[in-house]
Amino acid sequence: MKYSYIKPRKKTPFSTDLQLVLTFFMITIIMLFGTYAFLLFKDYRFVKNRQELEQSKVALAHNIKKMEDEIAYIKKQKAVANEIYTQNMVLKDSIANLFDLVPERITLSRADLLKNGLILYGITPNKDVYNFMLQAPLRSIFQETYTSFYPVQNGWLRFVSTNYINEDEAQTKDDSNED
Amino acid sequence: MFAKIFEALYIKVLVNIVRQSTSTLVYIELHSKKGMIEHLHNEFDTTVLDEAMREFITTYTKESPYYYISVLDSSSEQGAIPTCSKNKINYYTDLSDAEYKCFDGKWTYYTSKSDIYEIEEHYKAIGVDFIFSPFLIMHNFFQDKITKSVAIYALVQDGYISISVFNEGELLYAEHLDMQASTDPDEMMLTDGLDVSEEDLDLESGIDLENIDVEGDENAILDDLSDIEDLDALEDIDEFSDAKDVEEELLENEEEILKEAEEQEDGSFNEDYQRFSLIQTAISHFYKDARYESQFLENIYIADCVGVSRDLKKYLEEEMFLNVYIRKADIEAELCELAKQELGI
Repeated sequence: MKYSYIKPRKKTPFSTDLQLVLTFFMITIIMLFGTYAFLLFKDYRFVKNRQELEQSKVALAHNIKKMEDEIAYIKKQKAVANEIYTQNMVLKDSIANLFDLVPERITLSRADLLKNGLILYGITPNKDVYNFMLQAPLRSIFQETYTSFYPVQNGWLRFVSTNYINEDEAQTKDDSNED
Repeated sequence: MFAKIFEALYIKVLVNIVRQSTSTLVYIELHSKKGMIEHLHNEFDTTVLDEAMREFITTYTKESPYYYISVLDSSSEQGAIPTCSKNKINYYTDLSDAEYKCFDGKWTYYTSKSDIYEIEEHYKAIGVDFIFSPFLIMHNFFQDKITKSVAIYALVQDGYISISVFNEGELLYAEHLDMQASTDPDEMMLTDGLDVSEEDLDLESGIDLENIDVEGDENAILDDLSDIEDLDALEDIDEFSDAKDVEEELLENEEEILKEAEEQEDGSFNEDYQRFSLIQTAISHFYKDARYESQFLENIYIADCVGVSRDLKKYLEEEMFLNVYIRKADIEAELCELAKQELGI
Protein backbone atom coordinates (compact mmCIF):
# COMPACT_ATOMS: atom_id res chain seq x y z
CA MET A 1 0.00 0.00 0.00
CA LYS A 2 2.59 2.49 -1.15
CA TYR A 3 0.37 4.79 -3.19
CA SER A 4 -3.17 3.44 -3.05
CA TYR A 5 -5.73 4.74 -0.58
CA ILE A 6 -6.95 1.20 0.08
CA LYS A 7 -5.36 -2.18 0.62
CA PRO A 8 -5.77 -4.80 -2.11
CA ARG A 9 -7.98 -7.76 -1.39
CA LYS A 10 -6.20 -10.95 -0.40
CA LYS A 11 -5.56 -13.08 -3.46
CA THR A 12 -5.68 -16.83 -3.39
CA PRO A 13 -5.66 -19.39 -6.21
CA PHE A 14 -8.15 -21.49 -4.26
CA SER A 15 -11.73 -20.93 -5.32
CA THR A 16 -14.62 -21.80 -2.98
CA ASP A 17 -15.27 -25.13 -4.74
CA LEU A 18 -11.60 -25.99 -4.73
CA GLN A 19 -11.38 -25.03 -1.08
CA LEU A 20 -14.30 -27.36 -0.32
CA VAL A 21 -12.74 -30.27 -2.21
CA LEU A 22 -9.34 -29.62 -0.65
CA THR A 23 -10.92 -29.39 2.79
CA PHE A 24 -12.61 -32.74 2.23
CA PHE A 25 -9.37 -34.33 1.07
CA MET A 26 -7.46 -32.73 3.88
CA ILE A 27 -9.93 -34.09 6.44
CA THR A 28 -9.69 -37.56 4.84
CA ILE A 29 -5.90 -37.42 4.82
CA ILE A 30 -5.84 -36.14 8.38
CA MET A 31 -8.16 -38.97 9.42
CA LEU A 32 -6.00 -41.55 7.62
CA PHE A 33 -2.85 -40.18 9.15
CA GLY A 34 -4.62 -39.98 12.49
CA THR A 35 -5.63 -43.64 12.26
CA TYR A 36 -2.12 -44.58 11.15
CA ALA A 37 -0.64 -42.58 14.01
CA PHE A 38 -3.11 -44.20 16.43
CA LEU A 39 -2.15 -47.67 15.21
CA LEU A 40 1.52 -46.82 15.44
CA PHE A 41 0.96 -45.60 18.96
CA LYS A 42 -0.98 -48.69 19.89
CA ASP A 43 1.72 -50.89 18.36
CA TYR A 44 4.35 -49.00 20.28
CA ARG A 45 2.32 -49.36 23.47
CA PHE A 46 1.86 -53.08 22.76
CA VAL A 47 5.60 -53.60 22.23
CA LYS A 48 6.33 -51.61 25.35
CA ASN A 49 3.77 -53.59 27.36
CA ARG A 50 5.22 -56.83 26.07
CA GLN A 51 8.69 -55.71 27.08
CA GLU A 52 7.38 -54.71 30.51
CA LEU A 53 5.61 -58.06 30.85
CA GLU A 54 8.75 -59.91 29.81
CA GLN A 55 10.73 -57.93 32.33
CA SER A 56 8.16 -58.64 35.05
CA LYS A 57 8.14 -62.30 33.99
CA VAL A 58 11.91 -62.45 34.48
CA ALA A 59 11.56 -60.63 37.79
CA LEU A 60 8.79 -63.01 38.90
CA ALA A 61 10.84 -66.06 37.85
CA HIS A 62 13.70 -64.65 39.86
CA ASN A 63 11.36 -64.09 42.81
CA ILE A 64 9.95 -67.60 42.47
CA LYS A 65 13.46 -69.04 42.53
CA LYS A 66 14.27 -66.93 45.53
CA MET A 67 11.09 -68.02 47.27
CA GLU A 68 11.75 -71.66 46.41
CA ASP A 69 15.19 -71.28 47.93
CA GLU A 70 13.60 -69.69 50.97
CA ILE A 71 11.04 -72.53 51.15
CA ALA A 72 13.84 -75.07 50.93
CA TYR A 73 15.75 -73.23 53.61
CA ILE A 74 12.62 -73.04 55.79
CA LYS A 75 12.00 -76.73 55.21
CA LYS A 76 15.54 -77.43 56.31
CA GLN A 77 15.05 -75.19 59.30
CA LYS A 78 11.82 -77.03 60.03
CA ALA A 79 13.58 -80.38 59.79
CA VAL A 80 16.31 -79.14 62.07
CA ALA A 81 13.72 -77.70 64.44
CA ASN A 82 11.85 -80.98 64.42
CA GLU A 83 15.05 -82.83 65.05
CA ILE A 84 15.94 -80.50 67.88
CA TYR A 85 12.42 -80.76 69.18
CA THR A 86 12.63 -84.54 69.04
CA GLN A 87 16.03 -84.47 70.65
CA ASN A 88 14.72 -82.13 73.29
CA MET A 89 11.79 -84.42 73.86
CA VAL A 90 14.12 -87.36 74.08
CA LEU A 91 16.34 -85.39 76.41
CA LYS A 92 13.35 -84.34 78.43
CA ASP A 93 12.20 -87.92 78.67
CA SER A 94 15.72 -88.99 79.51
CA ILE A 95 15.95 -86.40 82.24
CA ALA A 96 12.50 -87.38 83.46
CA ASN A 97 13.55 -90.97 83.40
CA LEU A 98 16.77 -90.05 85.16
CA PHE A 99 14.99 -88.27 87.90
CA ASP A 100 12.55 -91.13 88.14
CA LEU A 101 15.55 -93.36 88.74
CA VAL A 102 16.69 -91.30 91.68
CA PRO A 103 15.13 -92.69 94.90
CA GLU A 104 13.57 -90.35 97.45
CA ARG A 105 16.30 -90.93 100.01
CA ILE A 106 19.07 -89.72 97.69
CA THR A 107 19.29 -86.03 96.89
CA LEU A 108 20.94 -84.89 93.67
CA SER A 109 22.77 -81.60 93.78
CA ARG A 110 24.01 -81.54 90.17
CA ALA A 111 23.67 -83.55 87.00
CA ASP A 112 25.93 -83.18 83.94
CA LEU A 113 24.60 -84.70 80.80
CA LEU A 114 27.34 -85.67 78.36
CA LYS A 115 27.11 -86.94 74.86
CA ASN A 116 27.88 -90.46 75.86
CA GLY A 117 27.62 -90.19 79.60
CA LEU A 118 26.15 -88.80 82.78
CA ILE A 119 27.81 -87.32 85.83
CA LEU A 120 25.68 -87.09 88.93
CA TYR A 121 26.50 -85.21 92.11
CA GLY A 122 24.46 -85.76 95.23
CA ILE A 123 24.07 -86.85 98.87
CA THR A 124 23.18 -90.31 100.03
CA PRO A 125 22.57 -91.46 103.60
CA ASN A 126 24.89 -94.39 103.03
CA LYS A 127 26.55 -96.44 100.35
CA ASP A 128 24.02 -99.21 100.46
CA VAL A 129 21.15 -96.98 99.70
CA TYR A 130 23.14 -95.69 96.75
CA ASN A 131 24.33 -99.05 95.55
CA PHE A 132 20.96 -100.70 95.72
CA MET A 133 18.69 -97.94 94.79
CA LEU A 134 20.64 -95.89 92.24
CA GLN A 135 23.69 -97.72 91.03
CA ALA A 136 21.70 -100.77 89.97
CA PRO A 137 19.49 -98.91 87.50
CA LEU A 138 22.48 -96.87 86.28
CA ARG A 139 24.41 -100.01 85.53
CA SER A 140 21.56 -101.27 83.46
CA ILE A 141 21.85 -98.18 81.27
CA PHE A 142 25.56 -97.39 81.21
CA GLN A 143 28.30 -99.87 80.52
CA GLU A 144 30.86 -98.07 82.62
CA THR A 145 29.98 -96.66 86.02
CA TYR A 146 32.42 -95.17 88.48
CA THR A 147 31.36 -93.78 91.82
CA SER A 148 33.37 -92.01 94.43
CA PHE A 149 32.10 -91.10 97.95
CA TYR A 150 33.29 -88.74 100.55
CA PRO A 151 31.62 -88.03 103.86
CA VAL A 152 29.98 -84.83 104.94
CA GLN A 153 29.58 -83.54 108.56
CA ASN A 154 26.19 -85.02 109.33
CA GLY A 155 27.46 -88.53 108.52
CA TRP A 156 25.92 -88.70 105.09
CA LEU A 157 28.03 -89.30 101.98
CA ARG A 158 28.48 -86.98 99.08
CA PHE A 159 28.90 -88.90 95.86
CA VAL A 160 30.03 -88.33 92.30
CA SER A 161 28.78 -90.94 89.88
CA THR A 162 30.41 -90.97 86.43
CA ASN A 163 28.63 -93.12 83.88
CA TYR A 164 29.59 -93.80 80.25
CA ILE A 165 27.95 -95.67 77.48
CA ASN A 166 30.35 -97.78 75.49
CA GLU A 167 29.02 -96.97 72.02
CA ASP A 168 30.41 -100.04 70.25
CA GLU A 169 28.91 -102.30 72.81
CA ALA A 170 25.71 -100.36 72.86
CA GLN A 171 25.54 -100.64 69.07
CA THR A 172 26.12 -104.37 69.24
CA LYS A 173 23.52 -104.61 71.94
CA ASP A 174 21.06 -102.66 69.83
CA ASP A 175 21.77 -104.85 66.81
CA SER A 176 21.30 -108.04 68.81
CA ASN A 177 18.10 -106.62 70.24
CA GLU A 178 16.89 -105.85 66.76
CA ASP A 179 17.70 -109.34 65.63
CA MET B 1 5.98 -18.98 0.97
CA PHE B 2 3.26 -21.01 -0.78
CA ALA B 3 1.52 -17.76 -1.71
CA LYS B 4 4.70 -16.61 -3.51
CA ILE B 5 4.97 -19.90 -5.38
CA PHE B 6 1.34 -19.75 -6.49
CA GLU B 7 1.76 -16.10 -7.44
CA ALA B 8 4.68 -17.02 -9.68
CA LEU B 9 2.67 -19.78 -11.34
CA TYR B 10 -0.27 -17.59 -12.33
CA ILE B 11 -0.41 -14.58 -14.61
CA LYS B 12 -1.34 -11.21 -13.17
CA VAL B 13 -4.30 -9.31 -14.60
CA LEU B 14 -4.27 -5.57 -14.05
CA VAL B 15 -7.64 -3.95 -14.65
CA ASN B 16 -7.60 -0.16 -14.73
CA ILE B 17 -10.80 1.84 -14.67
CA VAL B 18 -11.08 5.55 -15.35
CA ARG B 19 -14.51 7.05 -14.94
CA GLN B 20 -15.00 10.10 -17.17
CA SER B 21 -17.86 12.57 -17.43
CA THR B 22 -19.97 10.45 -19.78
CA SER B 23 -17.96 7.29 -20.34
CA THR B 24 -15.66 4.82 -18.64
CA LEU B 25 -12.25 3.70 -19.89
CA VAL B 26 -11.14 0.19 -19.10
CA TYR B 27 -7.56 -0.85 -19.74
CA ILE B 28 -6.41 -4.38 -19.03
CA GLU B 29 -2.85 -5.68 -18.95
CA LEU B 30 -1.92 -9.32 -18.57
CA HIS B 31 1.51 -10.00 -17.09
CA SER B 32 3.41 -13.22 -16.76
CA LYS B 33 6.68 -13.70 -14.93
CA LYS B 34 8.52 -12.80 -18.14
CA GLY B 35 6.61 -9.59 -18.81
CA MET B 36 3.51 -8.23 -20.45
CA ILE B 37 1.57 -10.79 -22.48
CA GLU B 38 -1.36 -8.76 -23.68
CA HIS B 39 -3.05 -5.42 -23.23
CA LEU B 40 -6.58 -4.37 -24.10
CA HIS B 41 -8.44 -1.14 -24.12
CA ASN B 42 -12.13 -0.48 -24.23
CA GLU B 43 -14.35 2.53 -23.75
CA PHE B 44 -17.89 2.14 -22.47
CA ASP B 45 -20.47 4.87 -22.97
CA THR B 46 -21.64 4.75 -19.41
CA THR B 47 -20.36 5.81 -16.04
CA VAL B 48 -21.96 2.92 -14.19
CA LEU B 49 -20.77 -0.65 -14.07
CA ASP B 50 -23.14 -2.17 -16.57
CA GLU B 51 -23.40 -5.75 -17.77
CA ALA B 52 -21.15 -5.25 -20.82
CA MET B 53 -18.37 -3.66 -18.79
CA ARG B 54 -18.62 -6.30 -16.10
CA GLU B 55 -18.52 -9.07 -18.68
CA PHE B 56 -15.49 -7.51 -20.37
CA ILE B 57 -13.64 -7.27 -17.07
CA THR B 58 -14.64 -10.68 -15.71
CA THR B 59 -13.59 -12.35 -18.98
CA TYR B 60 -10.01 -11.47 -18.10
CA THR B 61 -10.19 -11.61 -14.31
CA LYS B 62 -11.36 -15.21 -14.64
CA GLU B 63 -8.04 -16.11 -16.21
CA SER B 64 -6.13 -15.73 -12.98
CA PRO B 65 -6.92 -15.45 -9.29
CA TYR B 66 -4.26 -12.77 -9.13
CA TYR B 67 -6.18 -9.90 -10.64
CA TYR B 68 -6.03 -6.34 -9.38
CA ILE B 69 -8.63 -3.70 -10.11
CA SER B 70 -7.42 -0.13 -9.96
CA VAL B 71 -9.69 2.88 -10.08
CA LEU B 72 -8.70 6.48 -10.59
CA ASP B 73 -10.17 8.71 -7.95
CA SER B 74 -12.20 11.43 -9.63
CA SER B 75 -13.92 12.85 -6.59
CA SER B 76 -14.04 16.61 -6.27
CA GLU B 77 -13.14 16.49 -2.58
CA GLN B 78 -9.60 15.39 -3.27
CA GLY B 79 -6.43 17.39 -3.39
CA ALA B 80 -2.83 17.62 -2.32
CA ILE B 81 -0.99 19.76 0.20
CA PRO B 82 2.69 20.64 0.38
CA THR B 83 3.46 18.98 3.71
CA CYS B 84 3.54 15.60 5.41
CA SER B 85 3.74 16.94 8.93
CA LYS B 86 0.56 16.14 10.84
CA ASN B 87 0.86 19.39 12.73
CA LYS B 88 0.92 21.45 9.54
CA ILE B 89 -1.79 19.58 7.63
CA ASN B 90 -4.58 21.42 9.43
CA TYR B 91 -3.07 24.71 8.30
CA TYR B 92 -3.99 23.83 4.71
CA THR B 93 -7.17 21.79 5.06
CA ASP B 94 -9.22 19.72 7.45
CA LEU B 95 -8.48 16.04 6.88
CA SER B 96 -10.53 14.62 9.73
CA ASP B 97 -12.93 12.94 7.31
CA ALA B 98 -10.34 12.25 4.65
CA GLU B 99 -8.06 9.41 3.75
CA TYR B 100 -4.57 10.72 3.07
CA LYS B 101 -1.14 9.45 2.24
CA CYS B 102 2.26 11.04 2.34
CA PHE B 103 4.32 10.89 -0.83
CA ASP B 104 8.06 10.49 -0.36
CA GLY B 105 7.86 12.46 2.90
CA LYS B 106 7.35 15.66 0.89
CA TRP B 107 3.69 16.15 0.18
CA THR B 108 0.32 14.64 0.99
CA TYR B 109 -2.51 13.65 -1.29
CA TYR B 110 -5.97 13.11 0.10
CA THR B 111 -9.55 12.31 -0.70
CA SER B 112 -12.70 12.06 1.37
CA LYS B 113 -13.52 8.77 3.05
CA SER B 114 -17.07 8.91 1.76
CA ASP B 115 -15.79 9.11 -1.84
CA ILE B 116 -13.63 6.04 -1.30
CA TYR B 117 -16.67 4.25 0.10
CA GLU B 118 -18.67 5.47 -2.89
CA ILE B 119 -16.09 4.06 -5.33
CA GLU B 120 -16.01 0.75 -3.48
CA GLU B 121 -19.79 0.57 -3.54
CA HIS B 122 -19.92 1.60 -7.21
CA TYR B 123 -17.65 -1.28 -8.23
CA LYS B 124 -18.93 -3.70 -5.59
CA ALA B 125 -19.77 -6.34 -8.20
CA ILE B 126 -16.14 -6.69 -9.30
CA GLY B 127 -14.38 -5.28 -6.24
CA VAL B 128 -11.65 -2.68 -6.03
CA ASP B 129 -8.03 -3.28 -5.03
CA PHE B 130 -6.43 0.09 -5.58
CA ILE B 131 -7.68 3.67 -5.65
CA PHE B 132 -5.11 6.13 -6.95
CA SER B 133 -4.97 9.89 -6.87
CA PRO B 134 -4.59 11.77 -10.21
CA PHE B 135 -1.78 13.73 -8.56
CA LEU B 136 0.27 10.55 -8.44
CA ILE B 137 -0.30 10.04 -12.15
CA MET B 138 0.75 13.61 -12.80
CA HIS B 139 3.87 13.19 -10.68
CA ASN B 140 4.70 9.94 -12.42
CA PHE B 141 4.03 11.33 -15.88
CA PHE B 142 6.13 14.49 -15.45
CA GLN B 143 8.80 12.83 -13.35
CA ASP B 144 11.54 14.18 -15.65
CA LYS B 145 10.27 17.77 -15.35
CA ILE B 146 9.07 17.98 -11.77
CA THR B 147 12.57 17.86 -10.31
CA LYS B 148 13.55 20.93 -12.35
CA SER B 149 12.63 24.58 -11.89
CA VAL B 150 9.23 25.86 -10.88
CA ALA B 151 6.35 25.11 -13.25
CA ILE B 152 2.67 24.43 -13.24
CA TYR B 153 1.49 20.95 -14.21
CA ALA B 154 -1.99 20.04 -15.34
CA LEU B 155 -3.58 16.68 -15.92
CA VAL B 156 -6.45 17.24 -18.28
CA GLN B 157 -9.05 14.51 -18.18
CA ASP B 158 -12.51 14.31 -19.62
CA GLY B 159 -14.55 16.29 -17.11
CA TYR B 160 -11.74 16.88 -14.63
CA ILE B 161 -8.55 18.81 -14.39
CA SER B 162 -5.85 18.35 -11.77
CA ILE B 163 -3.43 21.21 -11.31
CA SER B 164 -0.24 21.31 -9.31
CA VAL B 165 2.80 23.51 -8.95
CA PHE B 166 6.14 21.86 -8.34
CA ASN B 167 9.50 23.43 -7.72
CA GLU B 168 12.51 21.12 -7.80
CA GLY B 169 10.42 18.16 -6.73
CA GLU B 170 8.66 20.04 -3.94
CA LEU B 171 4.92 20.54 -4.25
CA LEU B 172 3.88 24.15 -3.78
CA TYR B 173 0.22 24.00 -4.69
CA ALA B 174 -2.36 21.50 -5.92
CA GLU B 175 -6.01 21.54 -6.82
CA HIS B 176 -8.41 19.09 -8.38
CA LEU B 177 -11.28 20.63 -10.31
CA ASP B 178 -14.47 19.12 -11.60
CA MET B 179 -15.49 20.80 -14.85
CA GLN B 180 -19.13 19.85 -14.45
CA ALA B 181 -19.27 21.36 -10.98
CA SER B 182 -17.59 24.58 -12.07
CA THR B 183 -19.66 27.68 -12.94
CA ASP B 184 -20.53 29.07 -16.34
CA PRO B 185 -17.35 29.81 -18.34
CA ASP B 186 -18.45 33.32 -19.28
CA GLU B 187 -19.17 34.20 -15.70
CA MET B 188 -15.80 32.86 -14.62
CA MET B 189 -14.07 34.93 -17.24
CA LEU B 190 -15.71 38.07 -15.96
CA THR B 191 -14.92 37.46 -12.33
CA ASP B 192 -11.81 35.42 -11.59
CA GLY B 193 -10.18 36.02 -14.94
CA LEU B 194 -10.35 39.75 -14.54
CA ASP B 195 -9.09 39.60 -11.00
CA VAL B 196 -5.98 37.82 -12.08
CA SER B 197 -5.31 39.75 -15.23
CA GLU B 198 -5.96 43.23 -13.93
CA GLU B 199 -4.98 43.13 -10.31
CA ASP B 200 -2.24 40.61 -10.00
CA LEU B 201 -0.76 40.19 -13.40
CA ASP B 202 0.27 43.63 -14.57
CA LEU B 203 1.84 42.10 -17.66
CA GLU B 204 -1.61 41.90 -19.18
CA SER B 205 -2.19 45.63 -18.86
CA GLY B 206 -0.89 46.69 -22.25
CA ILE B 207 -0.75 50.20 -23.77
CA ASP B 208 -4.02 51.52 -24.97
CA LEU B 209 -3.04 53.74 -27.86
CA GLU B 210 -6.60 55.09 -28.12
CA ASN B 211 -6.31 56.63 -24.69
CA ILE B 212 -3.26 58.65 -25.60
CA ASP B 213 -4.16 62.24 -25.68
CA VAL B 214 -2.48 63.47 -28.89
CA GLU B 215 -3.49 67.07 -28.38
CA GLY B 216 -2.32 67.20 -24.81
CA ASP B 217 0.94 68.02 -23.21
CA GLU B 218 4.04 66.61 -24.89
CA ASN B 219 5.35 65.36 -21.61
CA ALA B 220 2.11 63.51 -21.03
CA ILE B 221 2.52 61.80 -24.38
CA LEU B 222 6.07 60.87 -23.58
CA ASP B 223 4.95 59.54 -20.21
CA ASP B 224 2.45 57.30 -21.91
CA LEU B 225 5.00 56.16 -24.46
CA SER B 226 7.47 55.30 -21.71
CA ASP B 227 5.49 52.07 -21.36
CA ILE B 228 6.81 51.07 -24.80
CA GLU B 229 10.31 51.28 -23.41
CA ASP B 230 9.17 48.90 -20.68
CA LEU B 231 8.17 46.46 -23.39
CA ASP B 232 11.66 46.67 -24.91
CA ALA B 233 13.10 46.10 -21.49
CA LEU B 234 10.95 43.01 -21.06
CA GLU B 235 12.45 41.47 -24.18
CA ASP B 236 15.90 41.88 -22.66
CA ILE B 237 15.04 39.86 -19.61
CA ASP B 238 17.07 36.65 -19.95
CA GLU B 239 14.81 34.63 -17.69
CA PHE B 240 12.02 34.53 -20.24
CA SER B 241 14.15 33.26 -23.10
CA ASP B 242 16.11 30.78 -20.95
CA ALA B 243 12.97 29.39 -19.38
CA LYS B 244 11.93 27.83 -22.68
CA ASP B 245 12.06 24.07 -22.61
CA VAL B 246 13.60 23.35 -26.04
CA GLU B 247 13.56 19.60 -25.66
CA GLU B 248 9.86 19.63 -24.79
CA GLU B 249 9.08 21.95 -27.69
CA LEU B 250 10.71 19.64 -30.22
CA LEU B 251 8.72 16.73 -28.88
CA GLU B 252 5.59 18.79 -28.95
CA ASN B 253 6.04 19.93 -32.56
CA GLU B 254 5.94 16.33 -33.74
CA GLU B 255 2.78 15.75 -31.78
CA GLU B 256 1.18 18.92 -33.01
CA ILE B 257 1.42 17.87 -36.65
CA LEU B 258 -0.48 14.73 -35.85
CA LYS B 259 -2.89 16.51 -33.59
CA GLU B 260 -3.82 19.15 -36.11
CA ALA B 261 -4.96 16.49 -38.51
CA GLU B 262 -7.06 14.80 -35.87
CA GLU B 263 -8.35 17.89 -34.16
CA GLN B 264 -12.06 18.35 -34.15
CA GLU B 265 -13.19 21.81 -33.42
CA ASP B 266 -16.85 21.13 -32.67
CA GLY B 267 -17.59 21.50 -28.98
CA SER B 268 -13.96 21.55 -27.89
CA PHE B 269 -13.81 25.32 -27.90
CA ASN B 270 -16.07 25.72 -24.91
CA GLU B 271 -14.39 22.93 -22.98
CA ASP B 272 -10.92 24.30 -23.64
CA TYR B 273 -12.00 27.76 -22.64
CA GLN B 274 -13.42 26.27 -19.45
CA ARG B 275 -10.15 24.49 -18.85
CA PHE B 276 -8.26 27.69 -19.46
CA SER B 277 -10.52 29.48 -16.99
CA LEU B 278 -9.98 26.80 -14.39
CA ILE B 279 -6.21 26.95 -14.83
CA GLN B 280 -6.36 30.72 -14.62
CA THR B 281 -8.43 30.48 -11.43
CA ALA B 282 -6.04 27.96 -9.94
CA ILE B 283 -3.05 30.20 -10.71
CA SER B 284 -4.92 33.09 -9.18
CA HIS B 285 -5.52 31.05 -6.01
CA PHE B 286 -1.87 30.06 -5.94
CA TYR B 287 -0.74 33.67 -6.13
CA LYS B 288 -3.36 35.04 -3.78
CA ASP B 289 -3.53 32.42 -1.06
CA ALA B 290 -1.02 33.32 1.64
CA ARG B 291 -0.80 29.71 2.81
CA TYR B 292 1.12 28.72 -0.30
CA GLU B 293 4.66 29.74 -1.11
CA SER B 294 4.10 31.96 -4.13
CA GLN B 295 6.55 31.82 -7.01
CA PHE B 296 6.37 33.32 -10.47
CA LEU B 297 5.17 30.79 -13.02
CA GLU B 298 6.48 30.82 -16.57
CA ASN B 299 5.99 27.28 -17.80
CA ILE B 300 2.98 25.05 -17.86
CA TYR B 301 3.15 21.35 -18.69
CA ILE B 302 -0.12 19.76 -19.68
CA ALA B 303 -0.75 16.04 -19.68
CA ASP B 304 -3.44 15.81 -22.29
CA CYS B 305 -5.68 12.80 -21.82
CA VAL B 306 -8.60 14.02 -23.95
CA GLY B 307 -7.02 15.74 -26.98
CA VAL B 308 -7.21 19.44 -26.23
CA SER B 309 -7.38 21.90 -29.12
CA ARG B 310 -4.72 24.45 -30.00
CA ASP B 311 -7.00 27.07 -28.46
CA LEU B 312 -6.06 26.10 -24.92
CA LYS B 313 -2.41 26.61 -25.71
CA LYS B 314 -3.20 29.87 -27.45
CA TYR B 315 -5.23 31.16 -24.49
CA LEU B 316 -2.55 30.29 -22.00
CA GLU B 317 0.21 31.78 -24.11
CA GLU B 318 -1.61 34.93 -25.08
CA GLU B 319 -3.59 35.65 -21.94
CA MET B 320 -1.21 34.47 -19.27
CA PHE B 321 2.14 34.67 -21.06
CA LEU B 322 2.98 31.11 -20.14
CA ASN B 323 5.22 28.78 -22.09
CA VAL B 324 2.86 25.93 -22.78
CA TYR B 325 4.02 22.35 -23.37
CA ILE B 326 1.41 19.72 -24.08
CA ARG B 327 2.15 16.02 -23.84
CA LYS B 328 -0.27 13.36 -24.91
CA ALA B 329 -1.08 11.07 -22.04
CA ASP B 330 -2.85 7.75 -21.92
CA ILE B 331 -4.53 8.07 -18.55
CA GLU B 332 -5.52 4.41 -18.19
CA ALA B 333 -2.00 3.23 -19.11
CA GLU B 334 -0.56 5.67 -16.59
CA LEU B 335 -2.95 4.29 -14.00
CA CYS B 336 -1.70 0.82 -14.87
CA GLU B 337 1.89 2.01 -14.32
CA LEU B 338 0.94 3.03 -10.79
CA ALA B 339 -0.68 -0.35 -10.17
CA LYS B 340 2.51 -2.03 -11.40
CA GLN B 341 4.61 0.12 -9.09
CA GLU B 342 2.29 -0.76 -6.23
CA LEU B 343 2.64 -4.47 -6.95
CA GLY B 344 6.36 -4.23 -7.69
CA ILE B 345 6.01 -5.64 -11.22
